[in-house]
Amino acid sequence: MASQLSFPGFAWKNLWRRRLRTLLTLWGIGMAIGAFVALVGFSRSFEHEWLRLYSSSGTDIAVVQKTFLNPSVDESIEGKLAAVPVVAQASPMLFNIIDLTPEVNALVFGWRSDSYEFGSLTFMSGGRFHDRKAEVMIGEALANTLNKKVGESLAIQGSMFTVVGIYRGGTALETGAVIMPLDQLQQLSSLQGKVSGFHVRLRPGPAGEAPDHYLKRAQKEIEAALPGLNAQSATERASNNQFVALAHAVAWGTSSIALLMGILGIANTMAMSVFERTREIGILRAIGWKSRRIVLLIELEATVLGFAGGILGLGFGWGSLRLLSALPQTASIVSASLSPYHLLEALAISVVSGLLAGAYPAWRGSHLSPVEAIRHD
Amino acid sequence: MTSPLLEVRKLCKSYDEGRIEALRGVDLAITAGEYVAISGPSGSGKSTLLQLLGGLDTATSGEVLFQNRALGSAVNLDTYRAQQVGFIFQAFYLLPTLTAIENVQVPMLALDILPRNRAQRAESLLREMGLEHRLNQFPNKLSAGERQRVAIARALANAPSILLADEPTGNLDSANSARIIEMLTGIQKQRGMTLIIITHEDDIACCAPRHIRIRDGKIES
Repeated sequence: MASQLSFPGFAWKNLWRRRLRTLLTLWGIGMAIGAFVALVGFSRSFEHEWLRLYSSSGTDIAVVQKTFLNPSVDESIEGKLAAVPVVAQASPMLFNIIDLTPEVNALVFGWRSDSYEFGSLTFMSGGRFHDRKAEVMIGEALANTLNKKVGESLAIQGSMFTVVGIYRGGTALETGAVIMPLDQLQQLSSLQGKVSGFHVRLRPGPAGEAPDHYLKRAQKEIEAALPGLNAQSATERASNNQFVALAHAVAWGTSSIALLMGILGIANTMAMSVFERTREIGILRAIGWKSRRIVLLIELEATVLGFAGGILGLGFGWGSLRLLSALPQTASIVSASLSPYHLLEALAISVVSGLLAGAYPAWRGSHLSPVEAIRHD
Repeated sequence: MTSPLLEVRKLCKSYDEGRIEALRGVDLAITAGEYVAISGPSGSGKSTLLQLLGGLDTATSGEVLFQNRALGSAVNLDTYRAQQVGFIFQAFYLLPTLTAIENVQVPMLALDILPRNRAQRAESLLREMGLEHRLNQFPNKLSAGERQRVAIARALANAPSILLADEPTGNLDSANSARIIEMLTGIQKQRGMTLIIITHEDDIACCAPRHIRIRDGKIES
């Protein structure tokens, strides 16, 4: 049976029968896209975990100062906040990041023992701490990292605390965190009477009022009752806090550089690949191929390379996130989940980069005179 | 009187901003079905003339007419090369990623020929060249003579009216040279094609019914 040659088959054979060059190109594209996926995925995972932190505890609104880490909200405003008609429950909380060992640092939350936020935790062993006692609860992931069990001691900034509970939280942030009595963290941080903010659960909205409208009205009522403070919805709080903004900025900055380097790498590889084939392009022109058919052939090859390199990059990126989510240093702030949107975005970037990078050399090669192209070494 | 298939009028071609004049006002007419050999020393302009006749390049001045229509204006060069001309080069210029039978199908991709018909036609041409046992070999596994025979099959793929061969025996030993010339003249007679061979070998040039000598960009005889 005679072997039939089709136009797509020609493109495929050009890639398959130059395996080394194809593999090196795929590797270059894969590394660039992998770095992009891992870095942006890290940032988005961090944001996602913050959002889950709020949603799993049932928090509707966070009352804070304008800056996220400014623990200058006075704990004594709790009475005024609780008196706002839409507020069902208000829990003060203090938040910090503390070195537990030279290698491990963790998020530390200060709650009151009657906080409604305990509802989102499941105790694996032990139970809730008591206010005004040197007791802590630690997340399951952190307990494994520190090899701590209930009843053992944990040194935090030179003070000894008894581990009274090990819990499983709804998010990687909680599972890698320490939760301790608010008064103990205030004392440890020399912030007596101050909190990072209040988490608020609202009363059910009146029938007939849209949830979004009710949430906005509640924010306004709280801000009116507490001038100078912000009442942010949980979603806004998750995406707008300074940790996430910083993570976003760093990830986008780094991944943009990675992407730019990747695109330049892809462009270089594609350009070299097309320049190498100038004589072949000349032969195709000599036997009657039109310029646009040659451009189409090269762009078809570039699309296949971009797509396959993108898939390889998704694998690299996902593997990197898995690794980060398993490392003690980062397990508390990242999970290995990737959104379909992010995957499609990375794949689209890979394909479009390949197409753009192949376009100029393809156009140049196909517009050379056939004689000039055939003479090319 | 029969009108020429190809006609060249006052054809000039210069390179390097006019410093090198490859052709200096060449006039020539070739009728359909003619076998013409063009010879001359290196740098005489014979390959340049072939390239202009085949629509691979454009003239600095003058014109090339195909069936009384000017190439590049009345006749689209891509279409002309795809449908009317078959090229055979000294260095074969086969595509290294394709097998012999795939190489022969490449010109057919430029035309609307069904895939099954493309493969059948390519196989038939390669059989005609005596390469039925080498259909699925890559060029680097073929001898020089076999490569040139694949190149001839490729040149015939779209059933052109003109076959242009630029030093087709330049890379071959004498036995293979004789075989290739015999094949080309056989094809020319059998199909009634116009065959134009560029050569510097006198014994090939002298055997052609029409022999044109070119020197310093001008036709001598």
